[in-house]
Amino acid sequence: MLQHFDPSKGSAYKGSPDKDYGTPARLSETLVTLDIDGVQITVPEGTSVMRAAALHDINIPKLCASDNLEAFGSCRLCAVQIEGRRGYPASCTTPAEAGMKITTQNGKLARLRRNIMELYISDHPLDCLTCPANGDCELQDMAGAVGLRDVRYGFEGENHLDAKTDSSNPYFSFDASKCIVCSRCVRACEEVQGTFALTIEGRGFDSKVAAGQGGDFMSSDCVSCGACVQACPTSTLMEKSVIDAGQPEHSIVTTCAYCGVGCSFKAEMKGDQVIRMVPYKGGDANHGHSCVKGRFAFGYATHADRIKHPMIRDSIDQPWREVSWEEAIGFAARRLKETQAKYGRESIGGITSSRCTNEETYLVQKLVRAGFRNNNTDTCARVCHSPTGFGLKATLGESAGTQTFDSVMQSDVIIVIGANPTDAHPVFGSLMRRRLREGAELIVADPRRIDLLKTPHLKDAQHLPLRPGTNVALINALAHVIMDEGLEDTDFIASRCDDKGYQAWRAFISDARHSPEQMEAVTGVSAEAVRRAARTYATAPNGAIYYGLGVTEHSQGSTMVMGIANLALATGNIGREGVGVNPLRGQNNVQGSCDMGSFPHELPGYQHVSDDAARARFEQVWGVTLDDEPGLRIPNMFDSAIAGTFKALYVQGEDIAQSDPNTHHVESALKSLDCLIVQDIFLNETAKFAHVLLPGSSFLEKNGTFTNAERRINRVRKVMPAVAGKEDWEVTQDLANALGYPMNYAHPSEIMDEIASLTPTFTGVSYDKLDQLGSIQWPCNDEHPDGMPTMHVEDFPIGRGQFAITEYVATEERTNRRFPLLLTTGRILSQYNVGAQTRRTDNQIWHDEDVLEVHPSDAELRGIRDGDWLGISSRAGQTVLRARISERMLPGVVYTTFHHPGSGANVITTDSSDWATNCPEYKVTAVQVEKVSQPSEWQQNFRSFEKLQHKLLKGDAATLANGNGAG
Amino acid sequence: MNQLDTLIHMANQIADNNSHYGTQEEAAIRVAAHLKKFWARSMKQQIIAYLQQDGSKLTPLAQTAITQMQASLRPEPADLCR
Repeated sequence: MLQHFDPSKGSAYKGSPDKDYGTPARLSETLVTLDIDGVQITVPEGTSVMRAAALHDINIPKLCASDNLEAFGSCRLCAVQIEGRRGYPASCTTPAEAGMKITTQNGKLARLRRNIMELYISDHPLDCLTCPANGDCELQDMAGAVGLRDVRYGFEGENHLDAKTDSSNPYFSFDASKCIVCSRCVRACEEVQGTFALTIEGRGFDSKVAAGQGGDFMSSDCVSCGACVQACPTSTLMEKSVIDAGQPEHSIVTTCAYCGVGCSFKAEMKGDQVIRMVPYKGGDANHGHSCVKGRFAFGYATHADRIKHPMIRDSIDQPWREVSWEEAIGFAARRLKETQAKYGRESIGGITSSRCTNEETYLVQKLVRAGFRNNNTDTCARVCHSPTGFGLKATLGESAGTQTFDSVMQSDVIIVIGANPTDAHPVFGSLMRRRLREGAELIVADPRRIDLLKTPHLKDAQHLPLRPGTNVALINALAHVIMDEGLEDTDFIASRCDDKGYQAWRAFISDARHSPEQMEAVTGVSAEAVRRAARTYATAPNGAIYYGLGVTEHSQGSTMVMGIANLALATGNIGREGVGVNPLRGQNNVQGSCDMGSFPHELPGYQHVSDDAARARFEQVWGVTLDDEPGLRIPNMFDSAIAGTFKALYVQGEDIAQSDPNTHHVESALKSLDCLIVQDIFLNETAKFAHVLLPGSSFLEKNGTFTNAERRINRVRKVMPAVAGKEDWEVTQDLANALGYPMNYAHPSEIMDEIASLTPTFTGVSYDKLDQLGSIQWPCNDEHPDGMPTMHVEDFPIGRGQFAITEYVATEERTNRRFPLLLTTGRILSQYNVGAQTRRTDNQIWHDEDVLEVHPSDAELRGIRDGDWLGISSRAGQTVLRARISERMLPGVVYTTFHHPGSGANVITTDSSDWATNCPEYKVTAVQVEKVSQPSEWQQNFRSFEKLQHKLLKGDAATLANGNGAG
Repeated sequence: MNQLDTLIHMANQIADNNSHYGTQEEAAIRVAAHLKKFWARSMKQQIIAYLQQDGSKLTPLAQTAITQMQASLRPEPADLCR
């Protein structure tokens, strides 16, 4: 619950995450002492009487109060008496004052509360025994608490008992007949989520909760985050899963497996069945809030498409054969050994997953380095945030964001570059919106008009709609203004930054070629707007920068990350709350998979493979000699596969065939492999090219840890048995043993112990400590035993901050007469990454196909109307998508998502990549768009190949005769 | 692009993005360090071989850097091969 923002972690006034204290915590350092029912109670100034009492287990009846919402004072059930004051004030809206003497229970208050309940119940159905909220209803609890025995008014008068139920949302229903109009849902939508989709319509007796203006929930602005469902004290807003199955009987706290926010959830269970996921108030990343994916889209875990048995085949045009685990692992190990014997030690490799746990990722890279005896390990962060690792390590000395999420609540100016938090990091997007409503200024640098710019009650917003591919030109122009106008923080630079580097950078950036006036023609952003934005950021007490894949996925992704760090260093916006450089990570464990040594050049903890001392430590624990040269990165693996020198690949939980750029290239690389081992929960696109398919386990089926975008290590706890009998780390361990490299872990906690022993930033991490503290932000070691929320407070891991020379080098992916438009790609709230999970849930209702957004002026030029089929062609390939006319982009820019494999968004993206890390340039592809009448050739082949592979999955030998695996 | 063309392109791209770091010698040191730190052994061997045979598609800065990088390439540890 967002109101629980409380930097004084462990404070006695924070309370237990399992109890509702009625009103939010207050943070004042001034304490006041009052008397409640004869008990002396001390609380921070500003705390409500209700909360002060609840902290000492004096529980005043309440209906409209909840501690994730500001006090509202409408139900009056929480009335108390205060000595020396008249009447019966509401304890939720009355702040505790020194010397107050409060009575919470006496005969008068009891009668008053009973009368209030009587009025409520006179317009409420009395079907408690068959009501879905039975056993979890605050109205029922309060009727019991006040001793309601009779409703004198009867039910004959005017009432709402026949009000209709709105079942339009796939996950929850709104039964208006049960509504007591306490406004908790409306307030949750405003205060917690920040969407303002709900309102109270009408006045007095006619008041009712409405979604939007008269329509149903699905046609309103509702984003289905579920905050209203969680806030509802009755069964009015109720999960359909609870209506179907009844109340859960136990719960386990775990971590969401969707985006990089890493929300904590209570998995509420009936036996081994998840009934609902409820965001956990004790989670420090989300404070009890969640989005439509985390809260509702968990049904994929039990979907019929789950792979339940290991399978093997000799070639990809053969049917899959279901075999035992032993046979599958034995087959895989034999093929890997044969490949290495024939093509050499470096001919095989592995890919770790940002969707798997730290322990699983660590184990896969260990298998590659110690078992395969090479460094050919990489991870999907290659295609998203590898420039972050490179750029932040070069400038600030650590490959990670500098802040906690909560830090944004101290920011005065928030810059968002190439990120779309309300879609891709929704819970953090809500926190950011909260801060914006409080008055922080917003600067968005993005070719698209992202939804954050439409935040209700936004004070001031500056949008810098730059041309795709000109990030570095823009960041240099911003830095130029800061130096040009003398807005730099000279004290910070002198005391914290390397002087030689600074002098060189200062001379570089001060050159007139970086001025906003010169750069205007390149970026398309007016010099005036750039100057204004630079002044706003540089002169604010606290300026924070948040960025996403719109920064990294460019040919100059790494340069741009360094440019962002330059800006923060030059203005002294590093090393305290409210500032910093904050990469918003795409997937749940991108940070963790990078930390765990997934990259071919780095051992766990970002220790380079050529570092003899570091390597020696690993060699001693792992018992083998390690290669001291980096291995192949994913794109290099593909190139080597096509060249015939790379022949076998083990892929855990990644779908490179769908997510990586230039699909033609990826597919021909995968077809060149003699042995492709895919470990996944579904037959994903990559698995269609595989020889061994090992069933994976979802996050609900295993133990481990995820590390979110703020370096927070959170526990993943097993709530149900693995569908195919093994957790992912067990499968990797079996494969290692079959290859002759022994691994004998009994539990992921033992893997974490090994990680801690080898990684200087993890030495203090253990499962015991995680259970004790809830979560830990690394570094966690002797110096920082409980972790480190804000980094670089006193110094940098490299001593002094390093300014980087960030020359703008235009991308080679340019428009011309043949390809006059720029395509940029992104994500949408309801779907996640390649969609393998969310496409197998009701989230499909919001986005069942990828569309191409086209600006009206580009559409008009080509005679395109909304819904037309459009052929999109680039230098790499062609695909067909439906048109959506939209003014969110600049003219000349088109936009799509990549959540559906048949869309072929990556058929058109090219090989162009970041100079430093080979992170693909997904965000800039020159294309042409025209009206067409049929799917592209690739799409037609895709459909027939998909059909064939699904037949082969069923072991249909007859397909052998009439299919040839075209792809 | 074939594999070698990709490597040539990558080397030139690294050189272009580091060419503004001080003198050409200073820039070459950075480019060489980058190649040493991030390229796999097989990639290094291929680009070195290309420079020795032809090298014409490499920018002057990339050529200097590859020559420097070559000097620091260590032999494959003998006990890695089984």
